[in-house]
Amino acid sequence: MGQAKNMVYYIIKRIMIMFPILIIVLIITFILSRFMDIFPVIRSVGFNLDPNELRRLIELEEQRMGYDLPIFQQLGIYLMNFFTGNWGNSYTVDKGTPVIEFIIGVFPKTIELMIIPIIIVPIIAVKLGVVSAKNKDKSKDNVIRFVAILGAGFPVFFIGNLLQIFIGRTIYFFTYGEFDMDIMWSNALSFDMNGRYYTGFRLIDSILNNNQVFLMDSLIHLILPAVCMSIVSLASITRLTRSTMLDVLDQDFIRTARAKGVPEREVINRHALRNALIPTSNLIVGGTAGAILGSLFIETVFDYLGFGYYFVRSVFLADYLLINGFLVFSSIVIISGTLIADVLYTIIDPRIVYT
Amino acid sequence: MTQIYLQDSDKTRNNSPFRGKILRRLKFYLIPGYRVPEFTEMEYEIGKIKSKRKLFRRFLTPLTILGFMLILFIVVLGVYAPWLSLYPLQEITPPNYPGTLEFQPPSPGHPLGTTKFGYDLLSRLIWGARTIIQAAFIPVFISISGGVILGTISAYFGSWVDTLIMRFCDVMFAIPTLVLVIIVAPLIGRDLYTILIIYGLLYIPYNIRFMRSLVLQVKQNIYVRAAVTGGADKVRVMFKHIFPNAFSPIIISFFGGMGLTVLGLAGLAFIGMGDPSVADWGTDIIYAKTVLLNSPGAALWPGLFIGIAVIGFMLIGDGLRDALDPRLHI
Repeated sequence: MGQAKNMVYYIIKRIMIMFPILIIVLIITFILSRFMDIFPVIRSVGFNLDPNELRRLIELEEQRMGYDLPIFQQLGIYLMNFFTGNWGNSYTVDKGTPVIEFIIGVFPKTIELMIIPIIIVPIIAVKLGVVSAKNKDKSKDNVIRFVAILGAGFPVFFIGNLLQIFIGRTIYFFTYGEFDMDIMWSNALSFDMNGRYYTGFRLIDSILNNNQVFLMDSLIHLILPAVCMSIVSLASITRLTRSTMLDVLDQDFIRTARAKGVPEREVINRHALRNALIPTSNLIVGGTAGAILGSLFIETVFDYLGFGYYFVRSVFLADYLLINGFLVFSSIVIISGTLIADVLYTIIDPRIVYT
Repeated sequence: MTQIYLQDSDKTRNNSPFRGKILRRLKFYLIPGYRVPEFTEMEYEIGKIKSKRKLFRRFLTPLTILGFMLILFIVVLGVYAPWLSLYPLQEITPPNYPGTLEFQPPSPGHPLGTTKFGYDLLSRLIWGARTIIQAAFIPVFISISGGVILGTISAYFGSWVDTLIMRFCDVMFAIPTLVLVIIVAPLIGRDLYTILIIYGLLYIPYNIRFMRSLVLQVKQNIYVRAAVTGGADKVRVMFKHIFPNAFSPIIISFFGGMGLTVLGLAGLAFIGMGDPSVADWGTDIIYAKTVLLNSPGAALWPGLFIGIAVIGFMLIGDGLRDALDPRLHI
């Protein structure tokens, strides 16, 4: 009972610490983003031959947006608005859309892409790591290590390009089939749903609208990026599981368990795996938080219009408020991810006690 | 003077009739556990060499040798670039735009074809080796040395210094670092070295946490407490007693970090944040993005070279880990 009570206090304490961290993150990113050398106002004003006219237009636009105020005044206004739930409007990426609405619209797409890698990959990867450690220096181990190092060593976008070139080109179903080829490459919204968006998840919405063409199209587009994501995270988790597992299998209590006559399967699954999972769980949860935020590279390679894609885009177009919104959102996800990892530790290893 | 004195004393001892070979041999046979001092010394020396050799043997597994060969390949490309490449660096970087066609298939003039603006792909690959060596070394050196200094201070002093540094780390951990690099790097400039230094600086917090946990372990040892009791000042204890004993994990994480850094910087270049005025493999990949299906080579060769460099560093890091400190997981 005491442990559970401590746990609750610990979680509450961590959540309380979260707020000052978020505010500091906000302040840092706000100031940093204002110093970027990209100036969004020029883009929205457009091109004008007369320099005086252009200058006047820019000044007008600055006054309208409040960019001419001192930076700390802007920061104060932004913070005040932020905590009343008004995160501002997007300025260059998608003009006029409130930031919160934009994030809510974009986020389900990334979840849709990452949900399968997040759920399936850790299970397979831990299994592969265990198999690899069990047959150390045999052919099975060598094959798994070889594949894992290829997955971890090559850049994500290179693997994505490979998949696009070889699978996308050779297998007709993916590209030249019933569907327009361009939709495969750019995960664009050229197919319209012809219906209402209920949840923002395209798969669920198309089922609700009974639009089978759209469902099929979305599914096919999800396959290659999801495979790419899986390969990359599979490689790193497998490598870590193998090395921790080898370390644990060397220790005395494993030898004791074997000497006692515990069957080998029990030794691996109950005695060894639990100890090996402690460092691995950190990577799994961290990788999950990263995946939820959408791997920037995967979304850029496949032109998948998700969280990571718009994150990069907002930085390049200097959409100040959108950058801040994205960063705060991802900070929340990351911090809660580490909190979940810390709680998971106590479940995996009951010796760890937080006070 | 001292040398001569010692030799004299040795001579006198050996000359005495009771300390001859026979007596020693008798002692050796009769007294169990008696050891000839000279022989013991020799044995000790041999043992030392043996353990060194064992460490080396453990280090030189086939995979590590493969890693060394891959890195050697990259280094040779970088060092002999002017002789290996068909075109000088000035002709294959942006201020110069040769008149050749873009994205051509391989031809005698361009063994791997051409990439954007008609640059020769093979020459860009070879000159890119120089960039990748710098890109691997500079950021890791900055981030690890910064992490070592701040982490040691944080763990050794404790109290408010520790709290301050760790809260700073918490804030930095909450922000996705790669995005921060994208925001910060253009503030100062898109020069290659600027990007490398900023990348190194922003990855310091990870190494602070790593070093702190190492130092907290080493700090418990008796020799550290003995040094403190003996009145050694703090800097001396930190960098003379604690740092050398946490050295092997640092070396391991150095090589592991090199692989990750090459990947990260290639990613930055792929997003479009690289320095366009150098021959960089990540930039080559983004050049070829629009013509992926028509000339796949332009995107695949640079990616392959990045993979070679990263896998080389990773294999060396793994080999060092297995040899020096098998308990460490990076």
